[in-house]
Amino acid sequence: MSSTSKAPATSGKDTPLEAPGVHAKPLWSVKPASDREAGDAVVSNFLLHWFPAKTYKPSLDWNYSFWLGTASAALLLLLTVSGLPLLFLYVPSVERAYGSVKDIEYVITFGFWIRAVHRLAAHLMVAVVFLHMVRVFLTGAYKNGRGQGQKREWNWVLGVGLLLSTLLLSFTGYLLPWDQLAYWAITVGTNIASSVPFVGPTIRELLLGGRAIDQATLIRFYVLHVIALPAAIGVLFLYHMWRVRKDGGLARADGAMLLPEKAAEAPSKTKTYTLLGVARGTSPAVKASTLERPETTVNSIPDLTRRIAIVVLGIFAVVSIASVFYHAPLEEPANALVTPNPAKAPWYFLWLQEIVTDTTVKIGSFTINGAFLGGVLLPGALVLLMTVWPWLDKSAPGSAGVWFPNDRRTQNIVFLLFVAFVLVLTFIGTFCRGPYWHLYWPWEAWPELPTRI
Amino acid sequence: MSEPKSRREVFLKLGFGAGVAALGAQAVASLRSLVPNVSYDAPTTVKLGMPLDFPDGMKFLPDERLFVFREGKTFHAVSAVCTHLGCTVRAEALSQPVTKTVRGVPLRMTHRFLCPCHGSKYEGDGTNVAGPAPKPLTWYFLSLAPDDGQLVVDLALPVGQDFRFTLV
Repeated sequence: MSSTSKAPATSGKDTPLEAPGVHAKPLWSVKPASDREAGDAVVSNFLLHWFPAKTYKPSLDWNYSFWLGTASAALLLLLTVSGLPLLFLYVPSVERAYGSVKDIEYVITFGFWIRAVHRLAAHLMVAVVFLHMVRVFLTGAYKNGRGQGQKREWNWVLGVGLLLSTLLLSFTGYLLPWDQLAYWAITVGTNIASSVPFVGPTIRELLLGGRAIDQATLIRFYVLHVIALPAAIGVLFLYHMWRVRKDGGLARADGAMLLPEKAAEAPSKTKTYTLLGVARGTSPAVKASTLERPETTVNSIPDLTRRIAIVVLGIFAVVSIASVFYHAPLEEPANALVTPNPAKAPWYFLWLQEIVTDTTVKIGSFTINGAFLGGVLLPGALVLLMTVWPWLDKSAPGSAGVWFPNDRRTQNIVFLLFVAFVLVLTFIGTFCRGPYWHLYWPWEAWPELPTRI
Repeated sequence: MSEPKSRREVFLKLGFGAGVAALGAQAVASLRSLVPNVSYDAPTTVKLGMPLDFPDGMKFLPDERLFVFREGKTFHAVSAVCTHLGCTVRAEALSQPVTKTVRGVPLRMTHRFLCPCHGSKYEGDGTNVAGPAPKPLTWYFLSLAPDDGQLVVDLALPVGQDFRFTLV
């Protein structure tokens, strides 16, 4: 055993080892027998080194975070894994893309399942990332609490980037089958970009790689989907995780600062970070209230890792099983000659489709296209407002990491109204719009219309 | 003593500068390569067929996304591209043709146009009457091909709603 050979001569085979960084077992353990072993697992394992040695117990509560961030990361991992075989099977050419997706769906063994997993995970990821954002807002988790050197507002900004990357990945992803949905989504999407005054048409040409939707367009969206955006979301994700650690864990962990101190009969304990580095500008000796109240923390291994495993494996299982029953649809091949009626975006973009429908305004003889107002200005303003919100939120630091605190009541209500607005528009777009985008009740039958003119 | 040090600094800056310049040039070249120099788009002037082969009334040409209307010897062409976000509008025949005077020229309207994407509605002359469409459907210039006498549309040349092409 190499580890015992390095141990000081005083420690026998059965006595605990004294030197730092040395533990009795050659490998880390998921079932550590002591606090020492639990800490060593964090330090010596590549996959675990980004976790803290100890975790504040209330941060692990299911009903605080609902583990939505972990679920998002699990879905991202599942999307990466299920995307790999699809990379070998899909051909990014306008002549063969549709056929290759059809082969994946009907010819290749397990192809339908891999594609269904990829699609279902993508849809779930949009939903879960959105819910994660809602949770972080409602708990004020983007606020700096009582910890030192916190920059939670910047982690919220990274989060906005992650939400946008998720949506863009989704958008570029559903273009790849080159079916009717894809073709008309590109038409509408790039015409929205084109509605920007002055630079719009140039942006559209850059996106399309020409003036018409053709091979240059498909290869652009393909490269964005399989290289550029995954790279961006990977970097943002790692940065997001790093900031969570730098900010002292979840906002709820700030509650540890409120723990009453023990009677000061002995000098308070200090902790020196020699292995994990030293926070800039602060003394290496950190006084942690959790050290004084050890009963408020648990070892990250196995308490944190076990919960993460439950969430990640649970998501994998649910998506895998559901995908056996819910196959990914494939519309007719892309046809530049016929626009489907109604032509609907995927559900998570239908609120935007509703907005561009309703926002063409006439001021005298001057008309502003809804494409610009509802497709660019309004979503742009929403994203901007969302990004800068942590700096506008003036509530007390104590309301960080708490569900529905009193001094954040108004902004939480306004935020929920925005969320409800998006959800209502999504519902109308999904269930109440029929041919020619007319309004129908969900239970109302659509009129029979000729599919071709 | 200062000379060797400054030479070292100069070389250091030169090397560093060369690296940054190379990286910058590569970035510019990469981005510029994504702007196409040649367009393989379909030509904007398209022969549509012999004028007398067109039916009286309306004919939809999906490739050109164009409605061609004929009334005896008079022709006009209206684009099928919705002015909102570029979907192809569909023509719906009116139960009764309506005659409307557009820009001092009478126009017998047999259809109206509906967009399947966001519900825009246009009258038979292309005027937007409902939905998010910000402006009327475009009318295009028609002429005869000098070589074989086919009807030719110029999709790069919009014309007013009083435009008519008449065979002589």
